[in-house]
Amino acid sequence: MTTRASSEGHPALSDQDWGFATVDQKPEIYNPQPSRMFYVYLAMPAVLLLAAITIYPFLWLIYMSFHKVGFGNASDVFVGVKNFARLFNDSKYLQGWGLLLKYSAICLSIQVVAGVSLAVILNNSRHEKILVTLFLMPMMVSPVVAGLLFYYLYNGTFGWYHWIFQSLGILDETSILGSADTALYGIILVDVWQWTPLITLITLAGLKRVPQDQLEANMVDGAGSISNFFHVSLPNIYPFLLIAVLLRFMDNFRFIDAILALTGGGPGNATRLLPVYLFDVSFKFFKLGRGGAIALTLLIVTIILGMILVKVLEDPARKKALSGDTDG
Amino acid sequence: MVAVSFNNVWKDYGGGAIAVKDLNMEIKDGEFVSLLGPSGCGKSTSLRMLAGLEHISSGEIVFGDKVVNDLPPKDRDIAMVFENYALYPHKTIFDNIANPLKQSKVAAAEIERRVTEAAKLLEIDQLLERRPQELSGGQKQRTAIGRAIVRQPQVFLFDEPIAHLDAKLRARMRGELKHLQFTLGVTTIYVTHDQLEALTMADRIAVMNDGVLQQFGTPQEVYDNPANSWVATFVGEPQMSLMEMQVTSLEGETALAFGSYTIEVDPKNSARLRAAGKKDLLVGVRPDKATVSLDESLGSIRGEVYSRQLLGADVLVEVEIGKSRVRAKANTSFAGTVGTPCYLNFGSEDLYFFDAKDGQVIPQ
Ligand SMILES: Nc1ncnc2c1ncn2[C@@H]1O[C@H](COP(=O)(O)OP(=O)(O)OP(=O)(O)O)[C@@H](O)[C@H]1O
Ligand SMILES: [Mg+2]
Repeated sequence: MTTRASSEGHPALSDQDWGFATVDQKPEIYNPQPSRMFYVYLAMPAVLLLAAITIYPFLWLIYMSFHKVGFGNASDVFVGVKNFARLFNDSKYLQGWGLLLKYSAICLSIQVVAGVSLAVILNNSRHEKILVTLFLMPMMVSPVVAGLLFYYLYNGTFGWYHWIFQSLGILDETSILGSADTALYGIILVDVWQWTPLITLITLAGLKRVPQDQLEANMVDGAGSISNFFHVSLPNIYPFLLIAVLLRFMDNFRFIDAILALTGGGPGNATRLLPVYLFDVSFKFFKLGRGGAIALTLLIVTIILGMILVKVLEDPARKKALSGDTDG
Repeated sequence: MVAVSFNNVWKDYGGGAIAVKDLNMEIKDGEFVSLLGPSGCGKSTSLRMLAGLEHISSGEIVFGDKVVNDLPPKDRDIAMVFENYALYPHKTIFDNIANPLKQSKVAAAEIERRVTEAAKLLEIDQLLERRPQELSGGQKQRTAIGRAIVRQPQVFLFDEPIAHLDAKLRARMRGELKHLQFTLGVTTIYVTHDQLEALTMADRIAVMNDGVLQQFGTPQEVYDNPANSWVATFVGEPQMSLMEMQVTSLEGETALAFGSYTIEVDPKNSARLRAAGKKDLLVGVRPDKATVSLDESLGSIRGEVYSRQLLGADVLVEVEIGKSRVRAKANTSFAGTVGTPCYLNFGSEDLYFFDAKDGQVIPQ
């Protein structure tokens, strides 16, 4: 009887397994494998909800991009690919792409370098906890509020940053946002200020998991701390960094809040990135059909670029993931 | 290529965990020293302090005539094999082994030559393109050895470098490492908990227990003249047996009382025991110096067979006498089984004598 008592935790073991007199069928409640359909039923509400809030609007977006969308009593007119065809002659559309790519590339480069450097500094700091809390603050600020904050900092008469930049001789008379040359960098700074901490945070989490023994082995092999960072830490935090970069990349591609708060796309079209132009077309001029076409192209390019990014960066990352734990 | 010494080194991890207590050890230039001890006795900690991976709480570590307490690992010119391999998962086996050479900016052709050579020696030359996660434990361990021997450092530090190899390869690697160490003449500290490894490879063995260095001497010294009862039972396989005996006298001569028996002692040991003047002793005998038989003979001690283990060429018989158990080797033809009465015999000149109170050896 002692063996039976010890098997309490495993109800799936039938009496038969123990050689006792048996009841032929296991009781229903012991059945460890519910039918397939059971899982389908369980997932159904979530799937339906997701379909309603993502797939339906997505299909609607595709529908719009092939129509001239009417308002009020006017009905939608099917126009085929005309909405798309016209985009290629639309200089603002093409320029929007150029600005978006430039903006995104600069933001990402600065954020990765600054974010990783900060993470390394934080990781070696005794005041890590306090500093992390401080660094988190910009991320908690709503993007529009961040935009407004910088609006004051950049202000041509009393803005701090304006004054600093002018004292450094970087700016002439015009304000940062007032000049077509500098406005883009103005909004880049906002994004860097607000989102570098995200990269720092994710990288920091990665740095915590860099196996100590690899660092030690490398030091014994004759490495200093710089080599240690590039040869051991960086390859180990690569998967984390990849996720951070992907997040920021996708976010940049639909960035709009701070620009609307700061410049509204101006001066001229200097900061009219594609998402801003999309906003203008759809909700200022109410050309929902053309807006749909722009949105769709933006979405497709985002997906393609995202996949390229993953492909390019993923290889070493996947190998690292395969390796599992520290015993290498 | 450099002498290494520990001078009154302590390592306190805090929270009551003192891993190394007052370690003093002078390792000569080019010497092969084995650190032997049970798990958790502070072997790895001592090695890591030599490598500069662990701060020492007090004392000093000296390389040659230079105190290296605060020297970072990269400036100590050491090569180390880690207990858990510590390979770089994102690098190929080739790059893992080449890492120390790359760190010291050796030319590419030379790296290629040396890595291939090391890999051949370790029989991993087929695996150079793979990554660590695609290797077996033993192959990883050989890669770790390769990374250490690919360069000629001042000091080799090996932390159980061949613990995960199969018996045959282990025997071969013992020879290879010993040969390599001898030809390069590099001072080597080799941690192991396998006494066979220590006895066969080392010029001198440092036996540690519980953070304290018990004895530091040649394998022969440690085996023949253990400093205390702990070392005596730790070194030697099968283990030495200890019996509680009292010094008495028999017809005016010094003798030993063991249960109801009185054992005569040879003149040399008798003088030794008299000089020490201790009464309660732990007396040790190695299994191969004790004989067991089913027939009574002169001076034999009666006991019962407690267990019988086949060792291959002969059997190890454990004989229960009162509350002591004494191991003896016997011929495979020995017929006793558990519970059989039997007779144990040993000569007093083969015995080891320790003070029953502190376990220290009775001086010669
Ligand atoms: N980082 C640490 N913090 C606290 N205590 C530690 C630390 N490292 C080791 N110790 C303790 O110090 C003692 C010695 O450890 P060490 O690793 O040197 O043992 P070892 O002789 O190498 O054992 P093994 O043969 O199992 O490898 C152990 O009791 C261990 O628990
Ligand atoms: Mg150890």
